[in-house]
Amino acid sequence: MKISLNWLRRYIDLEASVDEIQRGLTLLGFEVEGIQQTGLSEMPGLVIGEILTREKHPNADRLSVCSVRIDASGEPQQIVCGAPNCDAGCKVVVATPGCVLPGNFKIKKSRIRGVESNGMMCSARELGLGDDHDGIITLDTGALPGTPAHEVLGDGDVIFDIEVTPNRPDALSHLGIARELAAWFDRPLQYPHTHFEAPAEDLAEAGHRLLEDVAVLADEACPLYTAHVIEGVKIAPSPRWLQEHLTAIGLRPINNVVDITNFVLHETGQPLHAFDAAKIRGRRLIIRHAENGEKIVTLDDKERTLSRNDLVIADAERALVVAGIMGGADAEVDDTTVDLVLEAAYFKPIGVRRTSRALGLSSDSSYRFERGVDPRGVLPAARRAIDLILEIAGGRVLGPVHIVGSEPVWEREIRLSPDFVRERLGFAIADEEQQALLGRLELDASRVEEDDDGRKTFVVSIPSWRSDLDRPIDLVEEILRVYGTDRIPATRPVAGAVVSEDDPIARYIRSANTALVGKGFLEVMNYTLRSAEEIATWSTAAACEELKIENPLAEDQSHLRVSLVPGLLDTIRFNQAHGNLDGLFFETGRTFREEGGEIYEMVSVAFAIAQPEDAAAWKRREAPDFYYAKRLVLELAALAGMNIRDDQFRLVDGDGPWQAGHAATVDGGKAGYEAALGLVDLALTRRLDIDGPVLAGSFSILPERLRGGSRIPRSRPVSAFPAASRDLALVCDEATPAATVHNALARAVRKAVNNAFDIEAIRLFDVYRGKGVEEGRKSLAFTMTFRAADRTLKDEEVARVFEAVQAAMEAAGFPVRR
Amino acid sequence: MQEKLNELISRAREEVAAVKTRPQFEAFKAAYVGPRGSLTALMKTLGQLPKEERPAAGRLINEAKQQVQAILDEALAAIERAELEARLGPPIDPTLPTPDPLPGNRHPITLVRDEICRILARLGFTVREGPEIETEYYCFDALCTPAEHPARDTQDTYYLPREVRFGNVSRKNPDERYLMRTHTSSVQIRTLLAEKPPVRILSPGRVFRRDTADATHSANFHQIEGLVVDRGITVCDLKATLDYLFQSLLGKEARTRFRPHYFGYTEPSFEVDFSAAHLKKLGREWVEIMGCGMVDPAVLEEVGLDPEEWSGFAFGLGVERIAMTLYGVEDIRNFYTNDVRFLRQFA
Repeated sequence: MKISLNWLRRYIDLEASVDEIQRGLTLLGFEVEGIQQTGLSEMPGLVIGEILTREKHPNADRLSVCSVRIDASGEPQQIVCGAPNCDAGCKVVVATPGCVLPGNFKIKKSRIRGVESNGMMCSARELGLGDDHDGIITLDTGALPGTPAHEVLGDGDVIFDIEVTPNRPDALSHLGIARELAAWFDRPLQYPHTHFEAPAEDLAEAGHRLLEDVAVLADEACPLYTAHVIEGVKIAPSPRWLQEHLTAIGLRPINNVVDITNFVLHETGQPLHAFDAAKIRGRRLIIRHAENGEKIVTLDDKERTLSRNDLVIADAERALVVAGIMGGADAEVDDTTVDLVLEAAYFKPIGVRRTSRALGLSSDSSYRFERGVDPRGVLPAARRAIDLILEIAGGRVLGPVHIVGSEPVWEREIRLSPDFVRERLGFAIADEEQQALLGRLELDASRVEEDDDGRKTFVVSIPSWRSDLDRPIDLVEEILRVYGTDRIPATRPVAGAVVSEDDPIARYIRSANTALVGKGFLEVMNYTLRSAEEIATWSTAAACEELKIENPLAEDQSHLRVSLVPGLLDTIRFNQAHGNLDGLFFETGRTFREEGGEIYEMVSVAFAIAQPEDAAAWKRREAPDFYYAKRLVLELAALAGMNIRDDQFRLVDGDGPWQAGHAATVDGGKAGYEAALGLVDLALTRRLDIDGPVLAGSFSILPERLRGGSRIPRSRPVSAFPAASRDLALVCDEATPAATVHNALARAVRKAVNNAFDIEAIRLFDVYRGKGVEEGRKSLAFTMTFRAADRTLKDEEVARVFEAVQAAMEAAGFPVRR
Repeated sequence: MQEKLNELISRAREEVAAVKTRPQFEAFKAAYVGPRGSLTALMKTLGQLPKEERPAAGRLINEAKQQVQAILDEALAAIERAELEARLGPPIDPTLPTPDPLPGNRHPITLVRDEICRILARLGFTVREGPEIETEYYCFDALCTPAEHPARDTQDTYYLPREVRFGNVSRKNPDERYLMRTHTSSVQIRTLLAEKPPVRILSPGRVFRRDTADATHSANFHQIEGLVVDRGITVCDLKATLDYLFQSLLGKEARTRFRPHYFGYTEPSFEVDFSAAHLKKLGREWVEIMGCGMVDPAVLEEVGLDPEEWSGFAFGLGVERIAMTLYGVEDIRNFYTNDVRFLRQFA
């Protein structure tokens, strides 16, 4: 919203500088998004000067020493200047000592490189008149030296572009902002006087000839509608002051009547509408909902199709105005208008907002109705406009005044304890000061009640334009705003520590992150929303249906992600395409899993290792393979408190995103986790234009399964006696998973040892195919380590176990290779 | 005897120079101390000497034996040294670059998030997490967002179809819609419903707005929200906490400025600007950085707390925004492009 400083000055006597006003607005909660200075406003000490002589500075090449006349009779002043264009004879703008330029730049007498300088000749930028700083301003003017600069550099105004929060519709006007500044600077606010009260007695019924009747058929959307009839106006251009105010805030002057309605809108915040009475057919105004499909051409020359939800002001035949939003071309006030009907009404915010959004049409009027205008300000605004119309455009008001509905009853009081204010603020503002601060905002807190213990309560009456104030805490904010948030004392924080730990999710992600960064992986972040194609590839068609967003914005961001790996593939592709050599990436984040028609949010960690074929290096390292990925997945699972057994890994043997025969999946079942790892399908990586294979892995777990790692371990003594070990090679089919043999061996060992001593480890150390083993079979070699806590194991007892184990394995179909 | 021994030892000293390998060594050793070795042969002659000469001769032979053994030990040590050197290969060039990948590093968003959590942990804050898919109740209703508020609009917020069900995201009302959370304030509501005050929590996480991506907008970004609910919490406490945060983050001369603002779930509400030394170099005094306020009594009532007894403050900041300001990143999309040349700048 644009606010003109000159316009504000109609209501408040502001001595403050532009910077001080900006600071006041900012600290009151009205963010100043921009300040535009037109012309030059009055600045004490800023005058026209005439350069009499120019000489080179004795100690600086680029500086000149000028003699400048800055008043009609006195001595010329010596001023040092760095501008290239400070030639003798020029008329310039001089800031004399004591003058304060924009940016709170105070001019003082000074010595510049040893030469006295009594002021400054100004560039456009230094005066806030633009960006030009290549030289000083030179003027073609007959004005005498000493003339205040603003008299020459024109009718200055300052336009503030202010953001008003949605809870403050009362501030959407010059009076509203002036009221806030009056509170901030503690200055009186002068409301404009209104003279008009009622039509002359002899004209009390004369208006019927122009407007017979006003009917509100939708009083829930329009609780108050008023119409005044004015006859015999003379349409003409507005006077200069009115045009200047409107152009200052970016409005185009149209004619005196339209300009007055705009002026009153921006003065009071109450939108008004003027009809050409001659164009109202049937001498009736009807406030009704539109018919479905009803059309209206609005003032912006666009045809709008309305619906039952939209409120219109119509005459006997057609819609003339989209209520509260924009007038139609049909009843516009133009040069031929003689008689007027002036509308001032209260339209409910919800209806205006809906229609504005449905039509994609907003205006200064709808902006205010949507946020809520002061219902008690409707008639005063109409009277203010009538005063101005009669004064500027002539004419007279004919009765009756049509008022349909009524001003709502407004009576609101908030009981506020000054102790409560201090308790919530955490610092002391005395009772009297609290009352004064509220009073400056026209919140009358002069009524005080006192209970038997002498505790005071202010009874604060709330004006109708501040319907946002409803509770004591709301007044705490008002007191603080006017007191100044910059005066909140700086204190040291009180750490009222609570016995509590970080959420297990946060702890898990942090530890997974640390583990992968420690192994050389770079953390990346990809978007949560992914394409349908990707979800279909990495999940099932059914899941793809379930994981769709209802209102996606972009086609490639339409589904919840099921895996972090595709994002990592994007990362690899992007970096390969840009010649970046790094190939180790990981991401943590939420993924989504469809199961049985329900979606589960999962906590995921995934990594990917690009292995481009031509990665040149002076020394080759063995490339990480599936078993490296497995080690990482096991670690990620362990950090989540999950111990994945070898026999849980299932070989991928079908089509999908993973390469058949070179990848595996893990389903944690009831434990609520899943993992996938290995080579990404080679056809897929090729399709993605990735150079070389990609080794990847991911681990996902239901967040509720994460418990955090606060288990306290229990220590046991370690045995001081030597271990005994035996090696055993077992033959099985090529297709038999090692874990099957391993598990069978573990069972056999447990049975044979029968708790006689400890089985310290059963470790697979060799896989052999070839001579001595039949085609299609393989030999797996294990080392078994035994130990007792209390003695050295005897050969015989170990041999007995070894015999039994061999026999058991032979019996289980795993012949011993000797 | 003495002469023979002297001659034997000097011959051994000569011959040992040619012993370079283990087979040569074994042959050399055998030639002197093996069963047929020359020293062994001399030892055998000891028995033939007269009884009275034997002790002296025995001493001489023993001395000679020790000398031979020393020669053998030295020869073996030299061979072992040579073998070891051969195994090590030529000396390394310490100036060759390592062929191994550079160390990993965290994403700048993670760095900023962890740093803020770490700073505030010193003031007793702990982290709470919540689902990224939320419901209307936790995201809007409980935070007093009016039914007509634009934030709820499908223009601004991603929704899931009505029929979708989530197995592990609880709903307050059976017919409310699921949506992608627009802020992590929903975690505060879930926490206040699950835990009793005093509460002092941070909720970092990913949030979603239905915005067209540009230099300052991203389909998802990250927030950290903080919440304190206790007895007697004041505006002063809020200010002190945020001053502490920014001074820890940006240096002791950093300052914050509170500007009154409006949020539905806090009263009073503020926007916070910060000022720090490095900003002045960029010609800006104040940079808007976050929103905050005192928890609105209506929110406390909604979670079953008596606003007469309890008060609190809440604040929320955008992690990307802080990272952009802190590191001088101009386009938010840089955080999601994952260009290594960008990511490596934060190592």
